[in-house]
Amino acid sequence: MSFFDFDTSLPKDRGHFASAPGFGQTPDAFAGLGGGAIGDDDAIDFEDTYDGLGDRLDETDDAFNDDTFGGGPASQQTVGRDFDFAGQTSKIANTIHEEQMLFQARQPPSQQKYQQAAGPSKPARTGYESYHDPNYIPQLEARADIWGLKPKQAAPPKQENQAPEPAPAPARKMLSLEEVEAMMRAQSLTQAPPTPAQQTQAPPVPQQQPQSIAHTQAPYPVSQGQFTGPPQILQRPQQQHQARPSSGPRQQVHAELPGHSVQGPPIQHPTILQRQRSAPNDPAIQQHRHAPSQPAAQRPPSQPRQILQNPNRLSGQGQPMAQAGPRGSLPGHSRGPSFPGMVITHPEQLLHLSEEQRAAFLEEDAKRAKRNHKIALLSKDNGLMTPQDKNFITRIQLQQLMAATGNLEEQDPEAALVEDFYYQVFSQIRGAPRQTPHQPANQFAQTYLFQTSNRYGPGRRQGRGADNHMQRMEQQVQRAVEAAKAKPKGKSLVIEGSLGKIAFSNAKTPRPLLNIKRQETEKQSHKSHNSSTADRKATLRNIETVYITLMQMEDHERSLPAPISEDSDPDAIQKHMEWRTKIEALHTKLWQDIKIMEPIVQGSHTPHPFIAILSHAKGKKAIPRIFRHIDEQERITVLTMIVVHLDNLSVVSQAIATPEEPLSPTIREEVELFSHSVMPPLFAHISESPLNIIIGLLGLILDRTNLHVVARTKIGMSFLTMLISRAELLKQSAPEINVGDWENWTELYNRLFDAVETVLPLLFPGTVNDTEDMYVWQFLAAMGVGASPEQQQRLVIGVKDRVMETVSVSKALPPEMAGARLANVNLFMRAIGLDVELLG
Amino acid sequence: MAEADDGAPSSVAEPLDLVRLCIDETVIVKLRGDRELKGRLHAYDSHCNLVLGDAEETIYIPDDDDDESENVRTVKKQSEMIFVRGDSVVLIAPQGGS
Amino acid sequence: MENGESKGASGAGDARDPSGFLSEIIGAPVTVKLNSGATFKGTIYSVQRSHKILPIKSCDLQSVDGYMNIALESCKEIHNGKVLRDWGDCFVRGNNVTYICADEAED
Repeated sequence: MSFFDFDTSLPKDRGHFASAPGFGQTPDAFAGLGGGAIGDDDAIDFEDTYDGLGDRLDETDDAFNDDTFGGGPASQQTVGRDFDFAGQTSKIANTIHEEQMLFQARQPPSQQKYQQAAGPSKPARTGYESYHDPNYIPQLEARADIWGLKPKQAAPPKQENQAPEPAPAPARKMLSLEEVEAMMRAQSLTQAPPTPAQQTQAPPVPQQQPQSIAHTQAPYPVSQGQFTGPPQILQRPQQQHQARPSSGPRQQVHAELPGHSVQGPPIQHPTILQRQRSAPNDPAIQQHRHAPSQPAAQRPPSQPRQILQNPNRLSGQGQPMAQAGPRGSLPGHSRGPSFPGMVITHPEQLLHLSEEQRAAFLEEDAKRAKRNHKIALLSKDNGLMTPQDKNFITRIQLQQLMAATGNLEEQDPEAALVEDFYYQVFSQIRGAPRQTPHQPANQFAQTYLFQTSNRYGPGRRQGRGADNHMQRMEQQVQRAVEAAKAKPKGKSLVIEGSLGKIAFSNAKTPRPLLNIKRQETEKQSHKSHNSSTADRKATLRNIETVYITLMQMEDHERSLPAPISEDSDPDAIQKHMEWRTKIEALHTKLWQDIKIMEPIVQGSHTPHPFIAILSHAKGKKAIPRIFRHIDEQERITVLTMIVVHLDNLSVVSQAIATPEEPLSPTIREEVELFSHSVMPPLFAHISESPLNIIIGLLGLILDRTNLHVVARTKIGMSFLTMLISRAELLKQSAPEINVGDWENWTELYNRLFDAVETVLPLLFPGTVNDTEDMYVWQFLAAMGVGASPEQQQRLVIGVKDRVMETVSVSKALPPEMAGARLANVNLFMRAIGLDVELLG
Repeated sequence: MAEADDGAPSSVAEPLDLVRLCIDETVIVKLRGDRELKGRLHAYDSHCNLVLGDAEETIYIPDDDDDESENVRTVKKQSEMIFVRGDSVVLIAPQGGS
Repeated sequence: MENGESKGASGAGDARDPSGFLSEIIGAPVTVKLNSGATFKGTIYSVQRSHKILPIKSCDLQSVDGYMNIALESCKEIHNGKVLRDWGDCFVRGNNVTYICADEAED
């Protein structure tokens, strides 16, 4: 086999396309001969194709290397140095390799399928063989540094092969059969490096490489595009070193080598070796192998790669690819003989065999075909996804995970593409041809291309590639985590000129479609036409603010540091001071938030902001919580404010019930809520207030509010009741109090009595059948207690009708209800020294 | 939130603020399929998923027979508490508005 | 729709973006038309379907957000020139909006 222009395809590797012979348009007549005489290998067990093949490779003992490769420096001397091996070619070594990959990837699947269909038998390859070889080194990667290695490593494997290998390109000089045989003979007789005859074919080149290599290189035009040799060489030697059995017959080595480098998955070696081992080491047969004809059975080994290579994937990536024109012009990787040629030559080859051999061969052939078919069926989907593929997929998923969580660090759309595996591969395979061979494909494409070719062979188990991807995956995870941590709370990302924001959509914050710029000043929104709705919203906003402050205060309270004493350590004191400062600030804020200090505008149509807050249910509910946080003076302020605006409270102004028009359920609910949430803290405060405060509050009610409105509502009346009874309580418990105060009080009481007396019949909210009149009786009782006898008389006159009605109605009621209603009436009757019983 | 509120007394910075202000208030919610809900708004989210308390659902059923009349039959249902999936919400209005 | 809105915002600086238009009309009187169910497409103008189609006239567009949710003030539901209902403040979920049209210096 030649070095660069030869068909390096082993029988096993002869997987390249029949219609794409690569550099040589001539089929490689010699390729694949190695596996030709397998006729006696009829004891192959099916399992053998899976197991132990690798073990049979002796990869450790290189005792025959010298024989094979021409030995050490001495032999190199003989080889000569007058060829350019690492010159032009090496510069583009990587490029050539890449181009090979590209070509392979672009092959339309149809070609591959055709080969599969045409192949007389399937290869006995599962792709798993190499796993059984502990010493198997899976990773085959073309590396330029190889060139810096000793020629012995790089070149020797080819030495034997080049002799029989004709130069495929028509333009190149072909070896005649005689020449080939001569070389064969020379090889078999001596272990010396290639004969001078071979050397004659080599053009003068730098002497860094053995002549044998030079000679194969010679036929190549220096045009870089066609150089496919170097990568093959790069790869092949490694492979060979691993796979060569130490004691294997030379023929065996020879047969191994032809495999085309890039495509030739080392995994295939076991099969080949097995076959060869079984072959008689007969020179005649060897000769046959080099004959231009090949048994069909030799070809199948070329197909494993195609089987394992997912045709679908290729069909997706490959170009439709009418690769017309001379194959040689392609950076062809395919070196195997064209298929039709093989078919034609097949009978010829058989003719060369003896009758017995032929029979054995045919039998074996049939067997193998059957077996291969079976294996092919079984391994149909093997290797659809290699670990590398899976790693890639995992990475992609991680990528999406990161994108979903919103990695702000990768806002660049380019970055996304860079990380998009499919995009990269696609663009590299479909992309424009490189400008110059010196420009390497980008790293990603290189990785992928090399991985693709290698994934079926090396790298499967623990290749560097796999590690690499695992590492990258880990990095991805790390980055994702970090990004999530570092991710600002930003909700969205605005790209200029886009329709909207690119937002990180999740369940809580769906993705907005538009980017509405907020106007800092809502100059227009305040010229509202409807002031009441605007005030309403302002009030709601105030309430919201109050609640926020309340929650902050309550939250802050929970973080109250341990109580401090005089000998606490300074840190604790410091903490405590900070806590106090904060709570004070919040307290101040709360006080502002409830808007209670807003000036009172007399006669304004819009209620005071604080009173407006009380008109909302949630505002009412806030009062008890507010009271917890404000001090005594502020509570009095709140109480005063409410009392002053008593008739403005929605629960008062809108809650005047008449027998004709009872309260709506909504108002009723509001009143109920007010009396349950706002009243208790207020009354708790009133019940502890001194007389002067009571006097002040009652005075405010009498002076500032419409008493008729106040007195006709439950809330208003409750206030009055509370104030009067508190005063009465004070009078009874502490009669020694300032006489002046009492005079003030009596004056106020009389004013109140006079005002209320006029509306006494209207105090009751509903008809006599309305049971919710207890608060009225309570008020009357409170009034009655403090009333003078003359006032009591007037009270009785005022409510006499209602008392009598209630008593008569209660007689018709069930005892329980009647008792309750009479008890209510009795509250008042007893206050003035009477009892319902007396009414009989 | 607090900062935004004391910073600018803007009435409604974004539409959902209007809904936020209606928390614990009675709202009228117009739904797809000629339905309306009226109830106390307990909770909402950005999808307009809502939780309404003491809700009254009104279903408008147009009478198909005579085309030009405005006869709309209504069916009312009461729910103590109801969850409304946001995608059926058309409109949310505080009750005070109408 | 996008184009139409952009033209409507011809006065605006960035007419290419409906967001600009929408930002601009905040606070302005607008008419908002709602779609309600594609199944009733053919009967848009039918009186019976008045609850399906909701042209809303508003004095004041309070705000719009990225979902095209809108908040309207003094909002009235109008059908065939008649005010069906006075909603006052209201929030309209963006997916129901067919268009938002700025009214010319009207009320």
